[in-house]
Amino acid sequence: MELQWPLILFTTLTAWGCGVLGGAGALALKGAGKKSQQLLAIVSCVLLALGGIAVFFHLQHWERIFNGFGHITSGITQELIAIVVFVVIAVAYFVMARKSDDGGTLPKWMAWVAIAISVVLAAVCAHSYMMPARPAWDSVLEVLSIVGAACLLGPATCAVVLAAKGEDADACGLPAVAGSAIGAVCTAAYAAFIQMSAGAFSQVGYYFDPTHPTKAVADAAATAGAQAPLLWLGAVVVGAVVPLAVCVLARKKGDAASWKLFGGVAVVAALIGAVCLRVAFYNVGLSVFMFY
Amino acid sequence: MTHYAIATDLNRCVGCLACSVACKAMNNVPVGDYWNKTLRVGPNPKADGCGTWPDVEMYFLTVQCQHCKDPECVKVCPTGASHIADDGTVQIDKSKCIGCQFCAMSCPYGVRYLNTEERVVEKCTLCEQRIAQGELPACVAQCGGRARFFGDLDKGIDSFEAPWVVDVTEGDPSYDKTEHTRITLKECVQEYKQSDVHHLPDVGNDPSFVYILRDRDWQGEE
Repeated sequence: MELQWPLILFTTLTAWGCGVLGGAGALALKGAGKKSQQLLAIVSCVLLALGGIAVFFHLQHWERIFNGFGHITSGITQELIAIVVFVVIAVAYFVMARKSDDGGTLPKWMAWVAIAISVVLAAVCAHSYMMPARPAWDSVLEVLSIVGAACLLGPATCAVVLAAKGEDADACGLPAVAGSAIGAVCTAAYAAFIQMSAGAFSQVGYYFDPTHPTKAVADAAATAGAQAPLLWLGAVVVGAVVPLAVCVLARKKGDAASWKLFGGVAVVAALIGAVCLRVAFYNVGLSVFMFY
Repeated sequence: MTHYAIATDLNRCVGCLACSVACKAMNNVPVGDYWNKTLRVGPNPKADGCGTWPDVEMYFLTVQCQHCKDPECVKVCPTGASHIADDGTVQIDKSKCIGCQFCAMSCPYGVRYLNTEERVVEKCTLCEQRIAQGELPACVAQCGGRARFFGDLDKGIDSFEAPWVVDVTEGDPSYDKTEHTRITLKECVQEYKQSDVHHLPDVGNDPSFVYILRDRDWQGEE
């Protein structure tokens, strides 16, 4: 199907926002990054807001957005609810950090709540796309790929913010390396699933659609195969292996300058990878009966 | 409970596209959109043939919204705009639609279109404006091969109806008489076995439309 750029941006920015709040929560558990906690909560909300703006370019009747709360079992309604809950928790997180004596200490339960809602929102946003009609999308690995994107983007962003604020960015070292590793595994697993999805489409042999006489015959195997550069070079190598490698490198060096540089490289590479994965996702998003 | 659907005898379909054209004309379907398409499936080698011409077979497959019993589009619609109507058909309340297009993504058959002028998703309504007053859907009424039949699934497809020849020598050949002179599927088509009855691929949506294909291999999963 056609690339849905507003949705590509929304999903990527939402994953990024979730990763940042989740990363902030991980730091709060260790009692680290106190000078950055308020900023990280704001950054997560800004990213989510940017994603929201992007998605409004997809909705044809955005003025009816509140109708979107009308069907509790639909994925989009659940997304909207999760977004509202996320914002409420992020605001509460910010307020609690601000009200603490040092401006950055949070109770452990709040840190866990922030991590939990980050995982839930990323998963719920991805889950909306799990549709039996689209074989390349209908996998829990698709959900994990978005959660993985959050793991890749969030802790690395937190490390850059900590380094920029003059804090001990190495406190974010383990979350960044672990997040990158989780993200790399999730991304590679979903890339492999997409490549193997070709056999799940209905086949009718030769066919002809008189309304599109010059259109090539739909070929799921060729479409899935054509995504290999985007998936393996873009999403896996650039989007997952590079962030993992530079986070490991930054953790070895351990100084703020390294985290500023390598953390920034990790974020940019992970963003490129996340977009590549979503582009491949839409390219191979054929319906099971792909001849109409 | 009523569950309206269409049964198409693919052995009778000649691929004239009258159903597709009638649909566009009746429902003012925008240029580039098709609520009803006629695909040619094949020519494909016959199962027990030499693998090349003349041992090949083909059929025409009319595809539109299948008015599923458990429609994916209704499941994903966040507003309730896509819903199952009392007559069992799947309809869209355009005033509720936010244009998220997830229904179009979730449809296994790709039969939903975004109307870029109204900015809402549209599809085959089974000509609800016609069936509500006892008429046949335009694609059934205009079928050039008398291959399409409309009726209530709960009463069985043998009871489905198509237009029949109006005897103009008797009485007034009025519009009403034309509209209500009909023949049932059982009276009209050749005998078929249960194994000749097919559906489009089912991914849990349970498509309602029925296709009858005899003496040829149905292509694709069901």
